[in-house]
Amino acid sequence: MAKTIMIVDDSASLRQVVGISLRSAGYDVLEGSDGADALKKLTGQKVHLIISDVNMPNMDGISMVKEIKKLPAYKFTPIVMLTTESADGKKAEGQAAGAKAWMLKPFNPPQLLAVVQKLVLP
Amino acid sequence: MSTSRPTPFGASASVATPLLWRWQSTAFALVAGIAAAATSRDLASAFVAAALVAGGVVLDRMRAAREARSRQASAAFLASTDRLGHDVLPVWAAHIENSRQQMETAVAALTQRFAGIVDRLDQTLRTSGQGDDKGLSAAFAHSNDELRGVLDSLKDAMASNAAMHAEVQNLSRFVAELQQMAAEVADIAQQTNLLAINAAIEAAHAGVEGRGFAVLAQEVRKLSALSGATGQRMAEKVGVIGEAIRVARDAAQASARREAASALASEGAINGVLDRFRGVTQAMEASTAELKQESAGIQVEIVEALVQLQFQDRVSQRMTHVRHNIERLPDLLSASRRTFDASGALAPVDADGLLGELEGSYAMADERATHAAGAPKAAPQAAAAELEEVTFF
Repeated sequence: MAKTIMIVDDSASLRQVVGISLRSAGYDVLEGSDGADALKKLTGQKVHLIISDVNMPNMDGISMVKEIKKLPAYKFTPIVMLTTESADGKKAEGQAAGAKAWMLKPFNPPQLLAVVQKLVLP
Repeated sequence: MSTSRPTPFGASASVATPLLWRWQSTAFALVAGIAAAATSRDLASAFVAAALVAGGVVLDRMRAAREARSRQASAAFLASTDRLGHDVLPVWAAHIENSRQQMETAVAALTQRFAGIVDRLDQTLRTSGQGDDKGLSAAFAHSNDELRGVLDSLKDAMASNAAMHAEVQNLSRFVAELQQMAAEVADIAQQTNLLAINAAIEAAHAGVEGRGFAVLAQEVRKLSALSGATGQRMAEKVGVIGEAIRVARDAAQASARREAASALASEGAINGVLDRFRGVTQAMEASTAELKQESAGIQVEIVEALVQLQFQDRVSQRMTHVRHNIERLPDLLSASRRTFDASGALAPVDADGLLGELEGSYAMADERATHAAGAPKAAPQAAAAELEEVTFF
């Protein structure tokens, strides 16, 4: 059974690019347009990894990570921040919130898939 | 109350004001001098003093008028910058935002279409992969076996016909034998008849004693006649049968020739079809392999193109940061105008603060690099396309 990965980004085109990369590697993909939307869509189903942008409207990525870590069903779901944000302070915030990796855009699909395969839940 | 006065250049009139006070003080001293001179009846001194007072007053009024015009100009300038902030900058910001949204919509649509192409290529490759490269070869081999089977059945049928033809040939030989046997029967009947005649003659010679034998000879003659007739009919029937067999044999031979020709033509046609089918199959296999290779190549190219489309996200963020900074300016300009209206002092716009806010909003390293360079010439175009590192926590 295919593993499920959620991609959270306010850019529809970026969600599609990530989605294509993941689907071509055999993963199922869930999409969220921002942190609040992602939390709304996490309804207890199994999610093996979450990839999220940082700067988003309604709820930013780091706040979302903090909220997800409060949810028992997703407490141990690994989260990768995929962002243009390169400031060390923001990275430290992401790490403190519970993110597992910080990946800068633009990404290339093999690089993304390598990170996914390293972190995705069994 | 402040002693400073505004000037059109934004600085306070700290230099002009002492001059004015000096003129007023001088005029006061001169008026006192005129009064003293008039009291002492020194008319020349009083006249000079009066002229100086009058000149000072005139210069004082001219300066006041110039300062009023300057204040009006400052107010007009601030009103124009305020209008710039409230009327022009929002339009700039709206254009930036509209451009950003249009770009995002267009890139999203483009990405969607590319994604659709990738999906369809993927499905096509998967479908052709299910048949595998051996699919057409297997179909050809199966068809070849089937058609060869048909040819074999045809050859079997021809072999059966040949056996039947041989049997008919054998029947012809039996017919000849039967005809011979019928002729022999007729011959025997004739000889029997001759014997019966001779017996009748001998019976007549015997007289009364030979009467019974004569009757017997008569009956033998009758039987001989019957045997002869039967032999004749047998010969006739055998002739009819022989003719029928000959016709059947001729028909079988003609049929065998036609079947042989037909089988030969069928074999040629089947071989031709199989050869063409083999050619088509091989061409299709080659085309399919090439198509799969090309499809896979196109898929890779499209994915690469999609990766390059990430520029939209970066450009969108830059435009948003600049727009937010532009949107801050109208409030700063209005504040400057309010300060002027309230105090008459020109308050400079805090450009450093505005730049600081812009810099604080940056997320990308190349944004900061552009900011530090301060001019488009140094914008690091290549940096935007570089792939970045991953940090694991």
